[in-house]
Amino acid sequence: MASELTTESYISHHLTNLTCGKTAEGWTCDPYKVDQMGFWAFHVDSLFWSIGLGALFVFVFRKAISKNSDASVAPSGMQNFVEMSIEFVEDNVQSLFGSVKNTLIAPLALTVFVWILLMNLMDLVPVDFLPVLAGHVAYVIAGDAVEWIKGPESLYFKVVPTTDPNITLGMAFGIFILTIYYSITVKGLKAFVAELTLHPFGKYMIPINFVLEMVNFIAKPISLGLRLFGNLYAGEMIFILIALMLFFSSIPIGVLGFGLHLVWALFHILIVALQAFIFMALTIAYLAMAHETEEH
Amino acid sequence: MNINATLIAQAVVMIVFVAICWRYIYPPILSVMKEREKRISDGLEAAKKADDSLEEAKLAFDKELNQAKAEAAEILDKANARASQIVSDAASKAEAEAEKILTSASTTIENETNKAKEELRQQMSDIIIDTTQKILGDEISKEKHEEILKKAAEEL
Repeated sequence: MASELTTESYISHHLTNLTCGKTAEGWTCDPYKVDQMGFWAFHVDSLFWSIGLGALFVFVFRKAISKNSDASVAPSGMQNFVEMSIEFVEDNVQSLFGSVKNTLIAPLALTVFVWILLMNLMDLVPVDFLPVLAGHVAYVIAGDAVEWIKGPESLYFKVVPTTDPNITLGMAFGIFILTIYYSITVKGLKAFVAELTLHPFGKYMIPINFVLEMVNFIAKPISLGLRLFGNLYAGEMIFILIALMLFFSSIPIGVLGFGLHLVWALFHILIVALQAFIFMALTIAYLAMAHETEEH
Repeated sequence: MNINATLIAQAVVMIVFVAICWRYIYPPILSVMKEREKRISDGLEAAKKADDSLEEAKLAFDKELNQAKAEAAEILDKANARASQIVSDAASKAEAEAEKILTSASTTIENETNKAKEELRQQMSDIIIDTTQKILGDEISKEKHEEILKKAAEEL
């Protein structure tokens, strides 16, 4: 790794994941061997924060309920927040899903919403804090043992999981599987296949129908995942560019950068919550579609 | 920004978290919330009922109070009437008694007077008889004398 800090290396350092995978010589996290890993590589940093924040969600919500499972006692503190978020999700599920009874939808929507919100919120942690900390910790702990860690900057560490398309598309993929599952179990396989093949041109144009419907069908999870990724990636990118103003420029531009950072952070709070909400709402909507048995 | 196995790992992680939430988090919290909602609405209803019954009790209390007041006034009136009756009865009785005492007293006085008169007359007649006997000796018999005296006494 070049010890010289340039604009390009700074940006690429922030946009590269810590990737571990299997190469010909065995498992490694060496950033220069990512090309050899192929598909079976893991973004350890994304998964670390993703699992960590998911566990935080489970821990906080579980604690809130175990602390006060008596309905005769008024809720307090964290439990109020937990119940508020559940009420919020319940309302959304009610309005989007209507009367269809499915006990999985609401927990799914809650998990997706809180989890994505937490992951998005990592974007508000100043861009250099955690990567630099992680780099130094890795260097101190494993600097001698691991051959590719040559300095604190050898370790790539991307903090916001939702700026990793693998994470957002992974979740969209999970939801896609659920929509297929419910489409088949609720409508029946025949109706599901008919839905994909008999529209919009009737039964004599089945191949064309299938291609068109398939595009429509596949586009949903991909757009779901990429929307979240794109918004957060762009937000992260702007934070990085603003951070560059602080490091590589004169004092007036540095001050301007500081102001811009504040403004963008405030605006980004909106995006963070909005994207989490959109992801949740679309999740509910797609699953609601899977339950609709429409006659054409 | 490569697409790699992270995608599958994330999908698996998501399924795990959703399953945890579905199984262990959402239902207990929701049931507590539902139960509390029910408790609160029950409580409000009970409070409303209590309010209503309080109102009712107040009305009943007022009614009872008024009735009791009326009764008390009636009893008081009766007592007053009775008292004045007793007083007037006692007064008339006392008057009658007084009159009776007066009457008996005057009767007694009269009797005593008569008795005294009789006695005096008897004594006088004795004295007269004695004196006359002394003067006349035994000429006049006792029987004759008695007769004369009786006449004299009646004339007196």
